[in-house]
Amino acid sequence: MRPPALEAIARAAGGRIVAALAARFRNLDIAEDALSDACVKAAVTWPANPPADPAAWLYRVAYRAAVDALRKQRVRERLTSEAALTAEERAMEDFHLIPDERLRLIFICCHPAVPPEARAALTLRLVCGLTTAEIARAFLISEPTLAQRLVRAKRKIAEAGVPFELPSPRHWTDRLDAVLSTLEIAYSKAHEDAAGAGAHAGYAREMIELSRVLAELLPAEPDANAFAALVRYAEARRPARLDADGVMVPLAEQDPARWDRKLIEEADGFLALACAQPASARSLQAALHGMWCRRRSLADPPPWASILRIYDQLLGIRDDDIVRLNRSVALAEVCGPDLALREVESLGSDRFSAYLPYHAVKADLLRRLSRPDEARAAYDAALALDPTPAERVWLEWRRASLA
Amino acid sequence: MQYALLIYEDEAVYGSDDSPVMQRIIGEHMQFGQQVGPAIVGGAGLKGTSAATTVRGANGSQTVHDGPFAETKEQLGGFYLIDVPDLDEAIAVAKKIPLAASGSIEIRPLLPMPDAPAGS
Repeated sequence: MRPPALEAIARAAGGRIVAALAARFRNLDIAEDALSDACVKAAVTWPANPPADPAAWLYRVAYRAAVDALRKQRVRERLTSEAALTAEERAMEDFHLIPDERLRLIFICCHPAVPPEARAALTLRLVCGLTTAEIARAFLISEPTLAQRLVRAKRKIAEAGVPFELPSPRHWTDRLDAVLSTLEIAYSKAHEDAAGAGAHAGYAREMIELSRVLAELLPAEPDANAFAALVRYAEARRPARLDADGVMVPLAEQDPARWDRKLIEEADGFLALACAQPASARSLQAALHGMWCRRRSLADPPPWASILRIYDQLLGIRDDDIVRLNRSVALAEVCGPDLALREVESLGSDRFSAYLPYHAVKADLLRRLSRPDEARAAYDAALALDPTPAERVWLEWRRASLA
Repeated sequence: MQYALLIYEDEAVYGSDDSPVMQRIIGEHMQFGQQVGPAIVGGAGLKGTSAATTVRGANGSQTVHDGPFAETKEQLGGFYLIDVPDLDEAIAVAKKIPLAASGSIEIRPLLPMPDAPAGS
């Protein structure tokens, strides 16, 4: 059992240490094992001999462990070259002098060559220092399955020749997009759990931290800032997403007084940075959230007209059916449910047959147009698609209210 | 690092070896070769699977069959061997390989060859 101070320091500084070692030695396993070795040694020596700068101590000891591991490996491979040590070891007395290589590590973990189901897990493990048990809980898979995925992903990175450098400018867009898509998928898992009491509760917080790291490391990238804003807006609304009975509360009916103003202010800062550049799909999506979060109380009218305008702008950049479906909710408020239903029905219903929000949106529009039989069928289709408990109760309640 | 870029396409798209599609794609491969330059260390285009013969070894015995080793919708039609710094560069090269219609380029790192013993 690690002492609590060690646990906290390893969690806070572990990502940077693993990243620096991985960048130096080009080997994720050696970097990760070296940090574990250092933590084991710390658990033994710190109680009697607490270091002045614990994070620097961990880095120094982990660095030596990595060098030892490489030496052993080289002996096995009958090679004789030695890693140069002294200059770097001298710079290790101060944690702030550790090069911050977390961005490189994030790009490695989220490389398109890594299986998609392993990317977020690997990032959370190596960059955020979550344990395999924590990540396995978050992804609702067994710990051995997750551990095996991580091992395979690391082997793939080593064997396929995934670069340990930051992507060059000509690969930058693709690679950054892979990183952000990975993190968006990871965050959406945390977001689905509206109560925040489930297995994802902890890692919603980690995503706030990780998105901040990414935005700070890439201050000129609108999408990195937009993602940091989006995660904060979404998390800020968490306290108002369920009512006292645990039933889902639609965005327009949530009490803004219950939203987390501090997170919203942080998000506004990131959104401002994102919007300083030409609009991207991600910055507009963050702007949609930001528009809602301007509302201060239920007495303020919901900003439907502004929301519709942002959706129109978004369609100009990314015209896909999901954007159109989401836009139709605002369209119904501004132009009436009739027009919105026509728009929803023009979307490919085959593609959406297994997409719960499609049926939920359609059901609500039919309900408002007083077409109860069709609405009931649409609610049934939505309910058949395994909604979260909070959403299920809300859908059932709406369905029961039909004439 | 060395990689093999394996080109899989539906060979039916090409028709015969001197079809207009084949003429066009060969021209595009020449251009590709000039563009990528010295990163290409080898490669070849392959005749269709109708020209293939397969030797199969199992349990110590060997049999010879006509045709490719497996019937698939897309067939291995050619390959390049390239030497580039990392996977990102290999992906960038693979994206430039001309395809007649739809197809896939599989990127496979080469096994490192053991160094020749000293004095041989």
